[in-house]
Amino acid sequence: MTKKQIKERVGLTALNAFFIVLCFVTLIPILYAVSVSLSGQNSLLSSDFSFIPKDFTLDNYKEVIFGEDILTWFKNTIFLAVVTVSLSLLIAVPAAYCFSRRRFPGRKTILKCLVLLNSFPAILSMFAIYRLLRPMGLINHRVGLILVYTGTMAVFSLWNTKGYFDTIPTEIEEAAKIDGASDIQVVLKIVLPLAKPSIITTALQVLIYVWNEYIYATTFMTGESKYTLAAGLNSLQATEMTGSWPVFAAASITVSIPVLIIFFMCQKYMTSGLTAGGVKG
Amino acid sequence: MKRLLSILLCACLLLSLAACGEQTLDPDEANKLVIWHDKEDAVIAALESYLATAVPDLEVVFEKKTSLTDSLKLVGNDPSAAPDMFIFAHDKIGVFAEMGILAPIESLLEEGALENYLPMTLEAATYKDTLYQLPLYFETLLFMYNHRYMQDEEVPTTTDELLAYMENNTGRGRYGFVEQHSTAYYSAAWIHGFGGSIIDDTGVPFPDAQAVKDALNYHSQFVALMPGETEYNTVNTLFLEGKADATIGGPWMVPSARAAEIDLGIAPMPTVDSTGKALAPYSGVQGIHVLNFAAEQKTEAVKKLLSVLTAPTIGIDLALASGCAPANSLCYDDERVANDELVQSMRTTAEIAVPMPNIPEMDVMWTVVGNLLTDVNLSGKDIDDSFDAALAQANQLIDAMK
Amino acid sequence: MKNRKKDTLISYAWSSPSLILIALMVVFPILYTAYISLTNMNVYHWFDFTVVGLENYIKALFVFDSGFLSALFATILWTVVNMILQLVIAFVLVSLLNIQKLKLRKLYKTFLMFPWAMPGYVSILLWKTGMFNTQFGLLNQWMEKLGQETVRWLSNDVSAFICCTVVNLWLALPFMIMIMDGAMQSIDRSYFESAILDGATWLDRTRYITIPAITPIISPAVIITVFTTFKQFDVVYLLTQQAGAKTGSGFHTILTYAYENAFITNNYGYSSAISIIIFILLLVFSAKYQMKEEGDR
Repeated sequence: MTKKQIKERVGLTALNAFFIVLCFVTLIPILYAVSVSLSGQNSLLSSDFSFIPKDFTLDNYKEVIFGEDILTWFKNTIFLAVVTVSLSLLIAVPAAYCFSRRRFPGRKTILKCLVLLNSFPAILSMFAIYRLLRPMGLINHRVGLILVYTGTMAVFSLWNTKGYFDTIPTEIEEAAKIDGASDIQVVLKIVLPLAKPSIITTALQVLIYVWNEYIYATTFMTGESKYTLAAGLNSLQATEMTGSWPVFAAASITVSIPVLIIFFMCQKYMTSGLTAGGVKG
Repeated sequence: MKRLLSILLCACLLLSLAACGEQTLDPDEANKLVIWHDKEDAVIAALESYLATAVPDLEVVFEKKTSLTDSLKLVGNDPSAAPDMFIFAHDKIGVFAEMGILAPIESLLEEGALENYLPMTLEAATYKDTLYQLPLYFETLLFMYNHRYMQDEEVPTTTDELLAYMENNTGRGRYGFVEQHSTAYYSAAWIHGFGGSIIDDTGVPFPDAQAVKDALNYHSQFVALMPGETEYNTVNTLFLEGKADATIGGPWMVPSARAAEIDLGIAPMPTVDSTGKALAPYSGVQGIHVLNFAAEQKTEAVKKLLSVLTAPTIGIDLALASGCAPANSLCYDDERVANDELVQSMRTTAEIAVPMPNIPEMDVMWTVVGNLLTDVNLSGKDIDDSFDAALAQANQLIDAMK
Repeated sequence: MKNRKKDTLISYAWSSPSLILIALMVVFPILYTAYISLTNMNVYHWFDFTVVGLENYIKALFVFDSGFLSALFATILWTVVNMILQLVIAFVLVSLLNIQKLKLRKLYKTFLMFPWAMPGYVSILLWKTGMFNTQFGLLNQWMEKLGQETVRWLSNDVSAFICCTVVNLWLALPFMIMIMDGAMQSIDRSYFESAILDGATWLDRTRYITIPAITPIISPAVIITVFTTFKQFDVVYLLTQQAGAKTGSGFHTILTYAYENAFITNNYGYSSAISIIIFILLLVFSAKYQMKEEGDR
């Protein structure tokens, strides 16, 4: 082993140690929830807390999965998430491509206005959106929620994808166009594969928003059978006076797991096609 | 240009809102009543099973709604989205009545149906001389103690005794007495004990300024012997873990205290030495409210439902199911209810308890008083200055409501 | 000429679904709020409100007192501190995660994303009761074990500010890490290889390759995060200002301040006027920033 290799090995070990400690520190609040969710005592607080739960039990998870309507909520959420994410991408990509590649009157103004729209404190928007959805009969209707979610995230989706498209060199597209490819073909076959990281970050951000949003979901939807996971979770803890903390903690963990799995699976697509060779040079 | 277009588009939408017409009632719907609530499962289960036998021809659907008041503000007069009735505490009656979504209840009830109701509950449910709620049960705060640490003869009858007990029994992670000292709901008991109040019937904040200041001043000695945390979980856990000998808490604490195997004692509220008045907590009357359109379009169904809810049976069921104190005094004739220590102590406390004000102005006072208490108790600011600031904020906010 | 018109039309046609939804869900609420701000919609005129002109704006001026000014300064400080920390920490972590030989990077990344996967209010609740609680929080349990005095973490302005910042970073970093990671992944490796051959140090590579390459990619997300940070409500409100669980800290952002001094009045006309004023304030800020940025170019 050369000196350089040793140095590298030591460095790598230190780096691994650093990340293990960092992950642990990051996860402390969550480990706290895990420990509460596995314990038989009905309290979020305890004066002698340890990460290893006392009276270890899986009952809380059992209750979450079989006792509450969590499977219905899960189905509702999956449906909303899939539709909202697809719809968001479907409307954001063509718009982003137009704003990135084409030059037309009004383009700059709209782009600027879109950023500025973020300055509005949306605390009071609920009322306006209710007034908007009611005549369309979309209150207490999934389509209403989908529109609200997609619309709320549309500025972000458009901006984020457009920003990334801007960084993709246009030469490849021009070459393809000379070969007779249409705009749609160019977007599908060349731009999208190259823009994978931004498509995925956009999709994930929309997904997380839908997954965790509960204010619109609880206000616009009536009846627990229509709730999303976040809304159901919120109703579990809303009765603070009587609610069961371990069940709530177990539910919170359960709700987060699917998102984590998606994170993990998405990572291999995070690399842009640009580095995969072929278009180099 | 696009901006202009979108503005135009929105204008069109606004117009279409105005054009939206009334909906007609489906005949099948007339016997279906949707009731929103945010109550414990035990309460609703008792109501459901009682109604299933009492009014089998009505389809009563209970829907738990977490953001009940906010949702009602939004959908209150929209039959397609709002419930027909809702169960909630009486303190929002003023807001909803002024908004114009609540139906007066009296005309929907049989003559004399309210004769045996406890006067306090009816007083709570009345706003501007109109009854807007059929009371079901009420809650008040209670003085609770742990028999293991506080013997019956040690239970303080006056606040000075309580202070002395706290001084002797607080320290090294233990507390003689804990409460949510810096929240308006809990501190109201102290303010009332000094003869003051948070707001009067006409919406004037702190009608007796000196009483409030005296209460704050006196109470601060107690706060010094309590944890610097005022939220529910901390206070609750301290008592349940046996780290606090006594507390002031609501009936909702009792099930968890029993589960934690606390040898629970309940005592009358101590008396303030300087005024001779007992600490008088707020009481909350939980009851059923009818929305305007339901009263108009489903009159018969609503009348039928309200009629069976005035019977003592359901009050007894609720008392037995989850220790609620029924609003109908006839329920207390039942032997099982009479023997329930918890229900009986709430009934006794009801004699001195002050119903939470139900005027719309009270809505902002929760925050104002919360700020005042935090300033005095937690940030250690001067009482007079903080009070003046709170009074100014209260007046500004009340003024801003109109 | 005709072609150009057609081109414009095509561009708008393709963008229209997105723009229409934005108009409905983002622009319409703003216009509607502006309209309500001119009416007397309050508890006493909930459904029968009428236009009263600028009355609400005149009333609203009283809210913009010294308390509001200090909340505004606190909010600016809060935004600056949070953004700088977020960008620096995310950049350092992502650079480390992208060291070629780190085999477990996927696992680390997934763990670091966990805070993002939890609903925000759950996380804040966990921090508040699990970490910062004076009686039972882990922090104070550790302090006791170390033989230190227990601390009331959220009770004074400075420590509440720090605690809120920690929680906000914990909530916001996963997103920033992911955006930066995506941007970093898109840099052509060959640039680095040739730079290394030329003898460039890590610092050189960061300065001349990484940062210029990721800036355009991350800037949309960063700009949006700046706005979200500025408008942050949940973290500050739920940790320190929640009704019934106040901690004694005087740290307010403009939104928590406006909430306590206007939104709780149930007076929609008045609250809308305040929202609109805050909106205009922010518009002025961001317009200034944008102009400055354009001037730099």
